[in-house]
Amino acid sequence: MNARICALVLALFLTRLAHAAEPAAPPPDVARGKQVFLSVGCYQCHGTQGAGGGIFGPRLAPEPLPAPAFSALVRHPRARMPAYSAAVLSDAQIADIAAYLRSIPKGNAAADIPMLNH
Amino acid sequence: MKEDEESPGRRRFLKGASIAWTAALAAPITARSDAQTPPAARVPLPSAAAESTERDTSLTQSSCGGDFMVDVMRALGIEHVAATPGNTFMGLHEAVINYGMLTEPMLDFITTMHEEASVAMSHGYAKVEGKPMACMMHTAVGLQHGSMAIYNAWADRAPIFMIVGSHQDAATRHNAVDWAHTAADGPALVRDFTKWDDTPGSLSAFSESAARAYKFAMTPPYGPVLLAIDTRMQEDALPGDRPPPITRLPRSAPPQGEEGAVRETARLLVAAENPVIMADRAARTPEGLKLMIELAETLQAPVIDLGGRMNFPWRHALNQSADQRALVSSADVVLGLEMGDFWGATNEYGGRAGRRSLLPEGGKRISISSLDLFMKSNYQDFQRFAEVDLAMAADAEATLPALIEAVKQAASNARRGQFSDRGARLAQAQAQALARARSAAAVGWDDSPITVPRLCAELYEQIRNEDWALASGTVFQSYWPQRLWAADKHYQFIGDSGAYGVGYTAPASLGAALAHKKHGRLSVALQGDGDLMFGPGILWTAAHERIPLLYVVHNNRAYHMEIMQLQAIANRRQRGIDRVHIGTTITAPNIDYAQMAKALGVFAIGPIDKPQDLGPALKKAIAVVKRGEPALVDVVSQGR
Repeated sequence: MNARICALVLALFLTRLAHAAEPAAPPPDVARGKQVFLSVGCYQCHGTQGAGGGIFGPRLAPEPLPAPAFSALVRHPRARMPAYSAAVLSDAQIADIAAYLRSIPKGNAAADIPMLNH
Repeated sequence: MKEDEESPGRRRFLKGASIAWTAALAAPITARSDAQTPPAARVPLPSAAAESTERDTSLTQSSCGGDFMVDVMRALGIEHVAATPGNTFMGLHEAVINYGMLTEPMLDFITTMHEEASVAMSHGYAKVEGKPMACMMHTAVGLQHGSMAIYNAWADRAPIFMIVGSHQDAATRHNAVDWAHTAADGPALVRDFTKWDDTPGSLSAFSESAARAYKFAMTPPYGPVLLAIDTRMQEDALPGDRPPPITRLPRSAPPQGEEGAVRETARLLVAAENPVIMADRAARTPEGLKLMIELAETLQAPVIDLGGRMNFPWRHALNQSADQRALVSSADVVLGLEMGDFWGATNEYGGRAGRRSLLPEGGKRISISSLDLFMKSNYQDFQRFAEVDLAMAADAEATLPALIEAVKQAASNARRGQFSDRGARLAQAQAQALARARSAAAVGWDDSPITVPRLCAELYEQIRNEDWALASGTVFQSYWPQRLWAADKHYQFIGDSGAYGVGYTAPASLGAALAHKKHGRLSVALQGDGDLMFGPGILWTAAHERIPLLYVVHNNRAYHMEIMQLQAIANRRQRGIDRVHIGTTITAPNIDYAQMAKALGVFAIGPIDKPQDLGPALKKAIAVVKRGEPALVDVVSQGR
């Protein structure tokens, strides 16, 4: 019994040691996210600042989806959007894009733009 | 032998030789050269002979086949003929410029730089003016050039009167070019997408064929028609120097829906709780727009304008185009008027059978369409077969008066009261849709590249107080004009290409502007950059012919639709999604459309990439257009 407990404790200790050796994922980066957003062509359908592409791509920003929901949609999109697997877009890159979209400020309301109120 | 004792034979020889030698010295150089050069080594004259057809040069009286053809076209009411010059219609070309343009009523020659432009100009013109103009094309290669534009017009049900030249008699084909540019049956190339064609064998036959062709072009469904005319028939003097009589064109009445079917349709619409009216190419004329309004207001029913023409005022309370899916999904009766794709508007792909109706169980579809009267089978522009409950093979606009009357008779006063309640709800929905569109337009308002809603809003700001007309389609601008602008006149919007053949917008907009010109309207076009590059020579035509039109280049620097599709494939193959710009983007270098336009004689500003610069640029350009000249503003824009 004592031997079994010792073995279990040892296994747990070694597992923690292994995880401690892995480098931590870098935090999401807005500049990297913008670069990826433009280079893989997200902007073609969603606009360079996520304002949307009319009937061809919904608005992504400002006030984007929470990061987990955004990531899930990128992997398993709706309608005509192509699916981006991990082979072409990593989790880290998706996190960067989400950070970029979160950084986009809210603009003026339509009521404040005279030429939208004729 | 002494000299004076030479034999007579020798004297004759010497004398003959002397005479011959003297003659040789006096002869022209070429003849002497010919005499000296062996025949096999002679080099033919340079390409002049290859480039021009040997013609009959005997003098004619001023009247000729070509002049007669001009008179026939004028009798049909044709005012303009567009053409890029071609050898096989020189007889008619000369008659237009030296007779048609100099006598009344004037038949005006519009010079284009591509046959596709000639046809597309005619396409846009017809949708505004409500009647065809003519275009002439060289046989074979010219018709090949124009063929895509002919297909667009066919799919868009637009009337165009087309003429191609023809070398019917092989004995008149005098060089390699004539033979290479002859087809035994020239119109066969485009027969799958023209309403009718003929190769008349005489001037009398031409007159009758022209009238028949025009009649077919202008009987719904409208469409392009083609006559192949022999060169000698155009060029030679009239037989006996007397023109044949010109055939009279009848007044035509379009086909109306069968009386019983109209009454049944009215009964279903009046009884429906959630009727929906869908219109694609329903309003052929300004009268059609009025009738659409009357039908919708009588029923207080929502109208979904699919944009093939200006079917319904954009800000009318019953215009519910923004809520198409929701309305169709709850409709108990859908009336489709001249629908291009009734299946696509009321079904979707998916489900067990691979298709799924958007209507609820028991929902009924009624179709009124002239396409049921005339269609061809090779090109599939007729779209997927829509299962409807009642199909009227008739022209929708011509059927509307009877339908409106039948609806009025079928609706009791109590029922009309219920209609009013529905109308009030729809008016509220329309106001909410407009508010949503404005909110969406405000997003990214100050972005660079300029967003498409910002571009459209800035343009409308400059034109809204003018008698404006939008000469281009709006699908690639995500229908922002329909969502933000107010339009209520039939000529303010003419739909799009019909068959989505790219290269339509620039020339068709110019043709529309040609029609608008005499009415003093301000014509504007939202012009794709890729579309313009299919035929930028149209800008020269705009300048040369002094047709006022503002081209606003929606410069997203790409063949945009293809980028999305290419990315889908790259994603599926899990590779290279960052390389889909190859073969799809129009960059490196960026094209300077303003410089290009200036080189072709058009006033131009750009590239504009800051939204605050757009309004002033548009204002300057519009001032030029209002003076009667074309102008172009290059706007570096977001994709859609």
